[in-house]
Amino acid sequence: MSDQQHQLPRQYHDAVLHWQRHNFPDFPRLAEQWDTYFPKDDAFCLCARIQQNMPDRIEVGERAGQPKAVVPKELDPKAAEELLAIIRAQASTEFGSIQQHQATLARASDPQDQAWVLRVMAEELRHGYQMIHLLTSADWSPVTDTKPQDMVEEILSMKTGSHVLAAFNLEYDSFVDNVVFAAFIDRVGKYQLTMQKVNAYKPMAASMPPMLREEAFHLAAGVIPMRRWAEAAAQPDALITMPAMQRAVYKWYGRGLEMFGDERGGKTNVRLGLKDKTNRVAQDEYIAEVDRMLDDINQRYVRARFPQLSRDDADALYARVKGDRGTIDGVSWDEDLLKLPHPGFFRRRGEYAFQMIGVDGSKFDDVERYIEHVRDHLPEAYLASIDVKHWAELQRGVANGTVPLETALKSMPRLARVGGACPCANSVRWVVDVEVPANGGQETRLNP
Amino acid sequence: MTELDIEGITRIDERITTRYRPEVWEQRVSYYIRRDAESSQVAEVNGSVAGFMMGEVRGGEFGLEEPTGWIEFFGVDPDVRGRDLGRKLIDAILAHFRDQGAHIARTMVASADTDIAGFLKAMQFTPAAVAALEKRL
Repeated sequence: MSDQQHQLPRQYHDAVLHWQRHNFPDFPRLAEQWDTYFPKDDAFCLCARIQQNMPDRIEVGERAGQPKAVVPKELDPKAAEELLAIIRAQASTEFGSIQQHQATLARASDPQDQAWVLRVMAEELRHGYQMIHLLTSADWSPVTDTKPQDMVEEILSMKTGSHVLAAFNLEYDSFVDNVVFAAFIDRVGKYQLTMQKVNAYKPMAASMPPMLREEAFHLAAGVIPMRRWAEAAAQPDALITMPAMQRAVYKWYGRGLEMFGDERGGKTNVRLGLKDKTNRVAQDEYIAEVDRMLDDINQRYVRARFPQLSRDDADALYARVKGDRGTIDGVSWDEDLLKLPHPGFFRRRGEYAFQMIGVDGSKFDDVERYIEHVRDHLPEAYLASIDVKHWAELQRGVANGTVPLETALKSMPRLARVGGACPCANSVRWVVDVEVPANGGQETRLNP
Repeated sequence: MTELDIEGITRIDERITTRYRPEVWEQRVSYYIRRDAESSQVAEVNGSVAGFMMGEVRGGEFGLEEPTGWIEFFGVDPDVRGRDLGRKLIDAILAHFRDQGAHIARTMVASADTDIAGFLKAMQFTPAAVAALEKRL
């Protein structure tokens, strides 16, 4: 169960720290707060962790039973190409989520919630570091002409609006987003990491267990505040209401579903031994899991609203309200409880992309009515974003035939603060040349 | 054990103690998830949490330097007792402790709690060569 810790070669380690100073300025506060909120836990380590004693043979796909690759050139060329894209996308998500969290971190109303998110951000930084380790510790030249330093440069240059996946291009409107994102979007991350534990590239597979152990806490950092907010929401003076959380669910759920890839795809990754589930299989499991999560949160709300009821009576009341989709004893399914929208609601990728499906699964024929419907369900602050404006324009274009679906599927909003190199006046790149150490710049094992 | 087991664990605790304490179990579950997400175990019956066992490997406490698997909280839904869930939970957590390098597991039980003491004895737990001491403040 042990893992080995590795530090990146200096130029990349320094580039990540440089990126952190600009994009994650609250990072030093984590060390200051560690003993208050995580008193028994080992100190945070910005390092790559490689699990030991992982399987040596490919576990799924056409090459099942053959030895796993330990360098990219040993992979099937198509698998190497796909894997490189996966690692770059994964790296983008890790750094991207920090940029999103940072914007509203200071708005947390509870110091523990804030400290938990701060730790989540630091561990996402470590996960990004892990992906850079995968990119820079091996020779990827058989599948790309891009040099390692340029791959790292590209990842660190991304901003909210230019990341690979849409979920990481949405800005947070409040601390509700920090928490709902952890509950919904980090959960997709858990699925992706779990599927990649079988990866035919052994260093990738061995990167997953340490990341998954940390990801488990990230999900708790989302679900537990949501549970507490639901309890508080049962009181008339609640500041964070169930409708506010519901709107955040509507904002994030579709983006989470799209992170699995097109529902009809994923067979190639299984065939190549990179993942053990197709997109739809994994997505269906995710949907069942988040539905159960909302059940738990709703039950907490019902218990707080009716403290005189026994556990069994409260559970029975919730089951009746959910079953009837109605209002019983003043508890309304529509107004008071959290629910998942139809998987086709507000989608821009996958089999439901731009199909104008409402939260309850009903289909719209009139695009303006559909845009109104989506508008009426999203958080008000989010409506003012370029992301929603961009979606509405595409939705209109697809509906009236002026934008081909294929074009819409590839279109991403471009925010004003997109891309670019380090904002330091004295540097134009994140990765800068450093004096090569005696070991030739090879990575250092911290705990061999 | 995951964060989605909190509600089920709270329910079992409520059945056993008649107290509804979600915030207590949120703190405890988040602690064990953070420390070692794979250590603590839950048992499910028909898709619902029917038992749980929380613990972790630590060393250096009470002068006991060796890595020790500490079992700290456990419970089984009274409705499903008699199905060997306790044994399955303890087998799973002890296997994880072994993987983490522990060669001994420890726990404490109130002497008045004869059911739990009996269960632990059946699981081959024996009195330790350390004494639990207390002083009322």
